[in-house]
Amino acid sequence: MIRLVRAEWTKLFTTKVWLGLLLGSVVMVAAFAIFFTAFAGDDESGLPAVGTPLYEDLILSTAANANILFLILGIIGMTQEYRHRTATPTFLTSPRRGQVVIAKLIAYALAAAAFALVVVIVNYVVVAIHAGARGAAPSLDGDNLATLATSLVALVIYAVIGVGLGALLRNQVGAIVGGLVYLFVVEPIIRSVRATAGAYKWMPGGGLEALTATFEGPDLLEAWQGGLLLLGYGLLAAFLGTLLAVRRDVV
Amino acid sequence: MRLDGRVTADDEEYAISSASTAATAPVRVEVRGLTKSFGAVRAVSDLGFSVEPGQVTGFLGPNGAGKTTTLRMVLGLIRPDAGTATFDGVPYTDLPDPSRTVGAVLETAFHPARSGRNHLRVYCRAAGLPLERADEVLRQVGLSDAGGRRAGSYSLGMRQRLALAGALLGDPGVLVLDEPANGLDPEGIQWLRGFLRHLAHDQGRTVLVSSHLLSEVEQTVDRVVIVGAGRLVREGSIAELRAGAEGAGTVLVRSPEAPRLAEVLRATGAQVAQDGDGALTVSGRTAAEIGSRAFAAGVELHELRPHTSGLEEIYFQLTAGQEQFAAPTPGAPVAEGAAR
Repeated sequence: MIRLVRAEWTKLFTTKVWLGLLLGSVVMVAAFAIFFTAFAGDDESGLPAVGTPLYEDLILSTAANANILFLILGIIGMTQEYRHRTATPTFLTSPRRGQVVIAKLIAYALAAAAFALVVVIVNYVVVAIHAGARGAAPSLDGDNLATLATSLVALVIYAVIGVGLGALLRNQVGAIVGGLVYLFVVEPIIRSVRATAGAYKWMPGGGLEALTATFEGPDLLEAWQGGLLLLGYGLLAAFLGTLLAVRRDVV
Repeated sequence: MRLDGRVTADDEEYAISSASTAATAPVRVEVRGLTKSFGAVRAVSDLGFSVEPGQVTGFLGPNGAGKTTTLRMVLGLIRPDAGTATFDGVPYTDLPDPSRTVGAVLETAFHPARSGRNHLRVYCRAAGLPLERADEVLRQVGLSDAGGRRAGSYSLGMRQRLALAGALLGDPGVLVLDEPANGLDPEGIQWLRGFLRHLAHDQGRTVLVSSHLLSEVEQTVDRVVIVGAGRLVREGSIAELRAGAEGAGTVLVRSPEAPRLAEVLRATGAQVAQDGDGALTVSGRTAAEIGSRAFAAGVELHELRPHTSGLEEIYFQLTAGQEQFAAPTPGAPVAEGAAR
């Protein structure tokens, strides 16, 4: 199994996809933190002021906004095997295909943990500098560390969901477009329509929001429940994906 | 590589690895009753054959005959509806160390952004082989200089070589190659022939190579397994196939005195068929015997040739009408409506 995980890392780091997604996440998170801080405390924006606990909670969970890029990381990690037809040599080398999918899940969870660590560090450093310049840099106390840690966990879980989704759908473009449409169209609609809003807390986005958000929002689960729910979706996708990868013919 | 105590340039070129001087354990491939349908289409029907060590076996059939489906079932990539394929009795998916037992070339597709060397290293890692094997097999297939380049920039021939390099990583006793000559230039095909023969004859490996052209592999293979429409059509050695050819063992003779020569030959007990324009088809006598009889009788000869072209003809006869997409013969009348 360790061999297969290392093989996945070799695959990951011998193309530049990881670099693009990591840089994209860093830029996205840094830009968001800068804008948010710039308008923090502004009456018109309605954002909480620098130095308040609410501001610190919100600003230190912006890393979770990179979830879509981590989802894509996982999706590409799995679907590239089908897109570039390397599934054939991969499954020839490891005919027990379930092990390949499990190795991918482990490899991408660990790689995503390292990338997510970079993202939350960038998040904190940018906020510390910018908010510091505006009067009050958030301290790295227990609450704020917990906020950063939940963002990190959320990103790792999204990468795992991505691998599972990729194994399920196999088509790279389809899986990415499907993931984007779901996150940016389907869930927001479910979240805002009164009739379906009750179901939102049970969806991946609701889980993520429960895990990371602290401000007033729709009815949500507790943070730890949201985390478990999210992880449950990740493992469900991975389980179904594994089952299908094992059963489907590689033609 | 000191197979005969000498080291030659060729030995260097074909060197598998220092470890392979010790003969590879012979592995027999056994296919029994393989059957597979895709929806309503029966791709392979009750197909059985065996592949012996120390020989190159050609797996022949027209496009769409089920060759690739069969190879993928043999290698555990496609689940058969029925039947088994085993390597010394063990199905591929149960092999403890598949890369060290079987090497396969099925695809020539690679991640375009990954270098050839890194592609091979991925599978070194997955199979628990030292990373240096990647460079060794690149050298073996003549890709050392291109190893650092993106696989996306490779020509079709280079892709074939890279795929072959991947199959050789684990120094396997069995090699399975699906249409490996596709995209190779004549020089590359020549090289591949020598390489495969060397792997089988000198190193005792089991080599199965598919092709839709008999002529492509005729000079390489020792045995053939011919399939058509998913069924076994013929299995045997090239010599057996030749012997079964129509007109096998006959000699074509051309002479301005054909009738007299026919009489002379018939007098010796040969069967002679005359076809009018001075040509005789003689069976029961070798070309040398016919030549000496003609010389003794003072008959002038213009041509004396054993009939050998039968192999390709047999292949055509065996597989006729089994192409997946039959096209009308040029010049043949086109069916009403088909032209529109």
